Amino acid sequence: MTITLERMRADVAAMIHEQPQDIGLDDNLMDLGLDSMRLMNLILAWQEAGVDLDFGEFAEEFSLAGWWRAIEAKRARG
Amino acid sequence: MRLVDIGEAAPGRDAWPLTEAQLGLWYVQRIDPGNPILNASQYVELRGPLDIRLFCRAFDRMAEEADSLSLVFAETAFGPRQRLDAATRPRLQIVDLTAQPDPVAAARSAMVLDTATPVDLARGPVSAFTLYRLGAEHFFWYERIHHLAIDGYGIVLVTNRVGEIYSALKAGIEPGPAFAPLSQALAEDAAYLCGERRTQDHAFWMTELSGLPEVASLASGRAVSGASFHRQTVHLPAALFRQLTGRADALKVTWPDLLTVLVASYCRRFAAVPEAVIGLPFMGRLGSKAARVPCTLMNVLPVRFADMEDAPLAEVAVQGAKKLMACRRHGRYRSEQLRRDLGLIGGQRRLFGPLINVQPFDMPPVFAGLDVALHILGAGAVDDITFTFRGDAKASLMMEVDCNPALYGADDTAAHAERLVAYLEGALVAERLADVPLASPAEIRRYVRDANATAHPVPDVTLVDLIEATMRSAPDAPAVSFEGRVLTYAELERQSRALAEQLACRGAGPDRLVAVALPRSLDLVVALFAIVRAGAAYLPLDPRHPRERIQRILASARPVAILAGLAEQDLFDADTLHPGDWTREPSGATLPVPQPVHLAYVIYTSGSTGEPKGVMIEHRAIVNRLEWMRSHYSFGPQDRILQKTPATFDVSVWEFFLPALCGATLVVAPPEAHRDPQAMARLIRAEAITTLHFVPSMLSAFLAAPESEGLSVARVFCSGEELTPDQRDRFHARIRGELHNLYGPTEAAVDVSYWPATSEDRSAPLPIGWPVWNTSLMVLDEGLQPVPPGVAGHLFLGGVQLARGYLGRPDLTADRFLPDPFRPDGRLYRTGDLARLRPDGAVVFLGRSDHQVKIRGLRIELGEIEAALMASGLLREAVVMARADRAGDRRIVAYAVATAALDVEALRLAVARRLPDYMVPSAFVILDALPVTANGKLDRAALPAPVIEGGQGRPAETASERLLARLYRDLLALDSLPDVEGDFFSLGGDSLSAVHLVLRIKEETGLDPGLGAVFEQPTIAGLAAVLDRAGIDHGLGPIIRLAEGEAARAPLFLIHPAGGIAWGYRHLARALGGQRTVYGVQSPALDPDVALPDSLEVLATAYVDRIVETYPSGPWHVAGWSVGGILAQAMAAELEARGLAAGMIAMLDSYPCECWRAEPEPDETAALLAIAGHDPLAHPDLTTRAAITAFLRQGGSPLGSLPDAALDGVIRVVLDTNRLVRGHYHRRFGGTVVHVRAALDHQDRDLTPGLWAPHVGAIDRVDVPFLHPQLTSPAATAEIAPQLARRLAAFDTEKD
Repeated sequence: MTITLERMRADVAAMIHEQPQDIGLDDNLMDLGLDSMRLMNLILAWQEAGVDLDFGEFAEEFSLAGWWRAIEAKRARG
Repeated sequence: MRLVDIGEAAPGRDAWPLTEAQLGLWYVQRIDPGNPILNASQYVELRGPLDIRLFCRAFDRMAEEADSLSLVFAETAFGPRQRLDAATRPRLQIVDLTAQPDPVAAARSAMVLDTATPVDLARGPVSAFTLYRLGAEHFFWYERIHHLAIDGYGIVLVTNRVGEIYSALKAGIEPGPAFAPLSQALAEDAAYLCGERRTQDHAFWMTELSGLPEVASLASGRAVSGASFHRQTVHLPAALFRQLTGRADALKVTWPDLLTVLVASYCRRFAAVPEAVIGLPFMGRLGSKAARVPCTLMNVLPVRFADMEDAPLAEVAVQGAKKLMACRRHGRYRSEQLRRDLGLIGGQRRLFGPLINVQPFDMPPVFAGLDVALHILGAGAVDDITFTFRGDAKASLMMEVDCNPALYGADDTAAHAERLVAYLEGALVAERLADVPLASPAEIRRYVRDANATAHPVPDVTLVDLIEATMRSAPDAPAVSFEGRVLTYAELERQSRALAEQLACRGAGPDRLVAVALPRSLDLVVALFAIVRAGAAYLPLDPRHPRERIQRILASARPVAILAGLAEQDLFDADTLHPGDWTREPSGATLPVPQPVHLAYVIYTSGSTGEPKGVMIEHRAIVNRLEWMRSHYSFGPQDRILQKTPATFDVSVWEFFLPALCGATLVVAPPEAHRDPQAMARLIRAEAITTLHFVPSMLSAFLAAPESEGLSVARVFCSGEELTPDQRDRFHARIRGELHNLYGPTEAAVDVSYWPATSEDRSAPLPIGWPVWNTSLMVLDEGLQPVPPGVAGHLFLGGVQLARGYLGRPDLTADRFLPDPFRPDGRLYRTGDLARLRPDGAVVFLGRSDHQVKIRGLRIELGEIEAALMASGLLREAVVMARADRAGDRRIVAYAVATAALDVEALRLAVARRLPDYMVPSAFVILDALPVTANGKLDRAALPAPVIEGGQGRPAETASERLLARLYRDLLALDSLPDVEGDFFSLGGDSLSAVHLVLRIKEETGLDPGLGAVFEQPTIAGLAAVLDRAGIDHGLGPIIRLAEGEAARAPLFLIHPAGGIAWGYRHLARALGGQRTVYGVQSPALDPDVALPDSLEVLATAYVDRIVETYPSGPWHVAGWSVGGILAQAMAAELEARGLAAGMIAMLDSYPCECWRAEPEPDETAALLAIAGHDPLAHPDLTTRAAITAFLRQGGSPLGSLPDAALDGVIRVVLDTNRLVRGHYHRRFGGTVVHVRAALDHQDRDLTPGLWAPHVGAIDRVDVPFLHPQLTSPAATAEIAPQLARRLAAFDTEKD
């Protein structure tokens, strides 16, 4: 199952007990309570779905939009 | 003041200030530069076909990317700075250990040794990496990086990066993106400093931390981090980890958060505080450019966990997780800044206690084709205790407990690890944390069950049975002695029986009371024996207590009879039976026979409600107590036991009755003798006393009396208040005999525990010890769960000695006597005392948990005093405190809000009518209103100390204290001189100003107390004590270091002028310091115990010895002002005579002795004033030495702050100088002398450098436009120092 922005939004929402529509693409996820433990769990799940980014790359940007940009960039590099 | 502002002028383009994260660490290292604790180190164990060449390439590439690994640090005038030094970029060392007999052991010891080696931060390198080859396919890759350069997360980045590059190279692909540059992280840090976010974070923390409690540790005391730590590693059982993740999932929290909450609960309970403040390491990189920069950003967040143990665990977990989430969201705000914000710098003040560090994904790096394991060696400073949990994201969890060895033993560390595992196991299956005992099952077995296995057979009889047995078996033995009159047991039997018959006729019998109010006398003993033999219980009353109180007791106790003397009759409305009316010959009538369950006595104690409460003790309880004492201490007929305790104090019970259990003699002290140490000592000697009791404060007074010296007694018992180690040691120093510490409340038949306070005993504090027969002592928490050793808890008592209860007060009885949760049918008495167990099971008393206090051994409920105050009808509100504003001085202070204008004396009288004298407050403070806390409770801490006690601290007195008071005031810009309790950090000091303080101390005294001393002892009194201990004798030592400099250059010795002290050279020394060390040479005669030197020549010779000893290799640069220049020339001649190399010899406006011999004798007092910097002509009234001393004391002269002895020393040196100079004849020195002439002076006399021509080889003349007295001033120094520096430098070149 390939990763999509909507799946990521849903996963994040589940992780922090929020509704997906309540999470803005540019929201700082740290402010919403996402911590390194939760992030790591997300990354492990997404890596299984083929996302080739490591913790540091996810940690640098801390919004859904930022992550999606990084994933797109990685895909573009091939 | 903010310590860092990246925008401020940096000294160089390539140097940066330290980040806030680094600054805290920098100060830690600065305090103790030789401490290697900040070396973070680990090794990666690699197994498999490692391609070493590829590994080196991967390493070099990582080292190119990771800027932090080549940082160096410097201390500048603008504060510490860092820069990159490519020359220190780490290279991978490869060490082949395959030829070693035990390669693994060799590698380990090499790594441990390297980790324990301090790093030179100024030179670097700050990191080191070694690949140890242990076998063909076995390697250790060792990494060591100073924490100033990197944090734990940074090390993971570095390590994983090498693995990533290695694996990519191996696969022939390009590795992922490189690290971002360090400058990016620094820029972000700087941006945060000025940003909006920081303001929000600051606001969050100020709210979050308002009313922060005193931070508690799991150990007592406070220490700076040592050079090492204890570590206990435990692999948690797989089942425990499953339970943790399972419970976390069920509660919808993450398992690291749940684990943190549970460990915090453990810490809070172990510290026995209402609220724990935990340190939460926080990587501080989420959503940050620094997420991919190896550097130091780690923060430690203070997180408060209050007592919620009674709530369901689900609620505790969710609340805790929310709290953690909120704190993390504001986690960039530095804890160092928080400490400054909250004034928590130095001394005892901390922001957080134990650290809890959960690393759920602590996975080893990946190296393609290799098996990899990660081993942590050093992870930084351990201030207190750190709990680290490392998870591998799968099924296992490892726990490391690291402890500061200054606070914890290795056994404490192991015990915490073991106990915490048991606590987690219990907590994860519990509904409420309150149900989980803090003590482990093993500890409960040992300290609750085994320690209280005190079962011992005691005959099921009454006190009457025991005393009558002795009366029958030893009728002719002396039973009681009082003022020379003796009753034998037969006589005591007859008299007490006769009175018993008389009492029985009046209704005395089992569970009836007979009151006694008699002074110490034979009749008092007869009365007590008679009452119990009549089957009744005795009720002692103190005739000195107010009539009103006695009336209230009688109204509640309703005795069938009152035995009182004629003098005491007035106290009673009812009829009393006085000794003149007692029947003295028995009739042989049958007496009522009590059973062991009947009452033996009832003693009233202070009651918190205002009513005294009567404690009912049964025969079986007191029989157990007395039989234990008789047997345990081997009492026999030869013993003579002193009776001196008032009968209203239950210690008297064993004094009265123990002799009758073993045929010994009771020696009754005369009334009031117990208050007079001299009379006591006489009595003990005259009566050959073998055993007596003291309340410890009375023992102290007794030991202070000359008469107690050399006494010999078999045993002394102490109880009633805390016996101190000091009292124990003083006892054994003066008195031959055993000393025993006993403990027990009236509610448990006198004493329930014992401790032999032998001369070998070194316990501090002194324990109350072990339970007596058939008795248990338990230390339990609020939920009646056992606590482990070391933890404060409530002391509960169980066993046969417990009282039946309080007379007529079933409500109070039910409140204090509870069902024993550990034994069916048992009862526990809640003592209200706080205690803790030692590891050996002995109990240590810690104080009261309620408002009961003891003053001179007498138990006082403050509530009873408050009730008496209110009963006066004069007050609206009243509260009473036992204040210990000064050590060892506990006083009762009443705070009152009056209904109308109030005469304090009238209030005192009203209270004294209701209370015994020892309960009457010693001070009354009338307030407009009582202070209350935010939630409306009385704020006890805000009650002021009574004014008669003065302020907090005394003013600075000693020279060191006065010096520090002045420096604190100057450095911290205070309006006035602080008193000795003034605390550098509370008064506004911070780390940077502490550095300045140390520099100023060094400047003024010549010696360096070390920055650490300021942090450990920030009060003036404390730091002054450090200075005094360090032998910093106020800068009057024979050689003082005035300025630090490069060791390679020969130092300059500045010789004192006429006053004998060299402090005046401090400006010159500072100007020349840095280049070279500058010493001041001072007169030995400053010490009044040292004889004045015979001659100036002798002095010069001694000084040469001194400078050669200080700097053995030479050359020796010597200079001096005024008389100091004469001495310099004499020293140069002496150096030359010894064949030693004189360096620069300089004199500041000195002229040969022959110029002075012809002058009239100078006025000594004028000379003294001149030395101190005053114009003698301006003070014509100061003609005596005493007047000048007083004048100097008042003024701001540094001389005036010298201690008396030192000022005397200065005065005698000044006065002796004239004699020395006039008696000196110059020896010739063949070298060159630099002469600095005060060119504006000497208008009236022809004093020129040329006068030295006969005594020196050459004169190098320097003129400066100043007067003679100005030559050591900053302005003159600015001219003179460069001249001297240039001449000194010539010698440096010569030497090279």
